[in-house]
Amino acid sequence: MALRTASVPVPSTRRFRLPRDAALGYMLLAPAALLLLLLVGYPFLTAVVMSLQRKLIGQAEAPFIGLGNYVALLTDPVFWTVVRNVLIFAGASVALKLVIGTAVALALNESMPARGIVRSVMILPWALPTLVAVLIWMWMYSDVGGVFNHVLMGTGLVERPVLFLSDPVLAMISVIVVNVWRGFPFFTITLLAGLQSVGSDQYDAAKVDGADIFARFRHVTLPGLAPVMAVVTLLSTIFTLNDFAIIWLLTRGGPGNATDVLSTLTYKVAIRGLELGKGVAVSVLMLPLLIVLIVLLTRFINKREDAG
Amino acid sequence: MSETAGGIAARSASRVAAPNSLRHELILKRVLQWSVLGTALVAVVFPLYWMLLTAFDPPTLSYSSKISLLPKQLTLAAFSQLLREYDFLLWMWNSAFVAIISTLLAVLVGTLAAYSLARLRYPGRGFLAGTFFLAYIFPATLLVVPVFVILSVLGLTDDYIGLVMSYLIFTVPFCTWMLRAYLTSIPPELEEAALVDGANRIQAMLLIILPLAAPGVAAATIFAFTLSWNEYLYAFILMTDSTKMTLSPGMTKLVFGDIFLWGMIMSGATLMSLPVVILYFVAQRFVVSGLTAGSVKG
Repeated sequence: MALRTASVPVPSTRRFRLPRDAALGYMLLAPAALLLLLLVGYPFLTAVVMSLQRKLIGQAEAPFIGLGNYVALLTDPVFWTVVRNVLIFAGASVALKLVIGTAVALALNESMPARGIVRSVMILPWALPTLVAVLIWMWMYSDVGGVFNHVLMGTGLVERPVLFLSDPVLAMISVIVVNVWRGFPFFTITLLAGLQSVGSDQYDAAKVDGADIFARFRHVTLPGLAPVMAVVTLLSTIFTLNDFAIIWLLTRGGPGNATDVLSTLTYKVAIRGLELGKGVAVSVLMLPLLIVLIVLLTRFINKREDAG
Repeated sequence: MSETAGGIAARSASRVAAPNSLRHELILKRVLQWSVLGTALVAVVFPLYWMLLTAFDPPTLSYSSKISLLPKQLTLAAFSQLLREYDFLLWMWNSAFVAIISTLLAVLVGTLAAYSLARLRYPGRGFLAGTFFLAYIFPATLLVVPVFVILSVLGLTDDYIGLVMSYLIFTVPFCTWMLRAYLTSIPPELEEAALVDGANRIQAMLLIILPLAAPGVAAATIFAFTLSWNEYLYAFILMTDSTKMTLSPGMTKLVFGDIFLWGMIMSGATLMSLPVVILYFVAQRFVVSGLTAGSVKG
C-alpha cells in the first residue's frame, strides 16, 4: 500500500485527492440536467411567456398583451383577498406545525417504552396520500353523520350541525387543521434528527448550573436546534404555499373566496375559466415571495454546511 | 481530562445535595412528555381509526344519526361495492405503473447526477447543485398549467407517458438532492484508496461507492415512489379519461358526486393508503436514515 502510494505522481507532502474529472462529471450529470431543462426550465419559460398573452383554452392565437393579465389581477380585489388568505393559511399552518412538531420531537427524544412504534405511528399522517387525509377529515367534518357534529350535538354543545366547511372563518380553520395534521410529522422527524447533534455535555453543564427543564430548553436545546428549525420552517412554508389538494377538495376555495389560495385561483382561472394566460399570471405572482424564501433558505443551508 | 472529572464530581455532588428537586424534575418531564405524546397520538390515530371503522361498517350505517364510536359489525360490503361500481383496481394498477416507472427512471438518473455532484470536481458544480435544489422546491402550481398546455400540444394528456414525465419533474431533483447528501457523507478516503490501488473512476463508483450508498438509494426509491403514488395536482389535471385514471383523480370522482357514499370512499382511502403504509413499516430503517441524510419534501 505504501509502495503504491509512492508511485503515484503526487507530491508526497500532499494528501492524495480525488482528481478533477470534468468529462465524467458532466456526462453523469447530463441525463438529469437535460430532463430538468426540458421538464422544469422549458415549462417555466412557457409560463412566463403565457402570462404575457391573452391565451384561452381552445383558441389557436394568443395575442401578446404585455402586463395586461398582471394589471387585471392586481386591480382585482379577489386577488388581494387571495393574498390575504395565503398569508393566513400558510402563516398559521407553518407556525402550528413548528410548535407541535417541536413538542412531539422533544417528547420522542426522551427515553420511553415502545419508542420505535410511537415514532412510526407519528409519521403516518405525513406518509399517507394527501387525498386520503383530506377525505378522512372531510368525512369527520361532515354535517350529515360526521363524527365531530355527532359528538358536539350528543354532548349538547350545539343544537344544529356546525357547518365546518361553509362558514368563512370555520372553513379557514378547518383547512389549516388538516394541513397541520398532515404536515407536523415532517417537523418532528427532521427535528428529531437535529436533536442528535445537540450535545449531552451541554445539558449536563446546564444541569450543574442549576438550570431547570424550561431554562435548559431555552438556553441549550433551542439555540442548538435553531438552524435546523429555520431550514424546515422555510421548506415547509414553500410546500404549504404550494398546497392545492387540501383546499380544493375540502372547500374549493369557498365559501366565496374565503379559502382560495394562489394554487386554487390558478386552477379556477386557467382550467375552469379557460383563461390560461391569466391563470398562469396568478402563479407567477407567487415568485416574489418564493424568491425571498429561497434566498433565506440558501443562506441558512450554506451556514449549516459551513458549520458542519 | 481534569475538566471532565470535575464535571462528574460536581454532578454527583448536586445529585447528592438536591435529590428531591431532581425527582420533581423527572416527574415534571414525564408528565410533559406523556401529555404531549398522548394528545398527539389521539389526534393522529383517531382519524385513521375512523377511516377503518367507516370502511368496515355495513355501508348504510355510515349515514345514520346513531353512529357508534365502536365497531358493531365488521363487513367487507363497502369494499365490494367500491370494486363493483368503479374501476378501482384499474386505477390502482395505473397508479402503481406510473409510480414505479417514474421512480425507476428518477433513481437511475438521480444516482448518476448525485454521484457527479457529490464526488467529481468540475467548473460550475456548485451552481449546478444549486439549480437541482431549486428544481426540488419549485412549486408545482407554477408548472402545472404550462405542462398541461405542452402535453396537450403533444397529445400526451390522458397518457401515462405524459404523467410519468410530469412526475419526473419532482422525483429527479428529489432523488438527486437526497442522494447527493448521502454520498457526501461517505468518506472520500475509501474511493481514494481504490483509485490508488489502480481502479478507475467508474469502477470506484460501481464497486465501492454505490454498494455503500445502497441504504440511501433504497430510501430515495421509497420516497420517490411515495411522492408519485401520493401525487394529486398533475394527475387531477392531466388524467380525465376514466379508463386511464390513477387513484388521485379516480377517488376524486367518488366525492364530486351529489351523494357521499362514505363507506365506499373510506374503503377506497384504506386501499390507497395500504401500499405506502406497508412500505414505511417494512423499510423503516431506510426511511429514518434517508431523512437524517437530507431534508425531505413534506
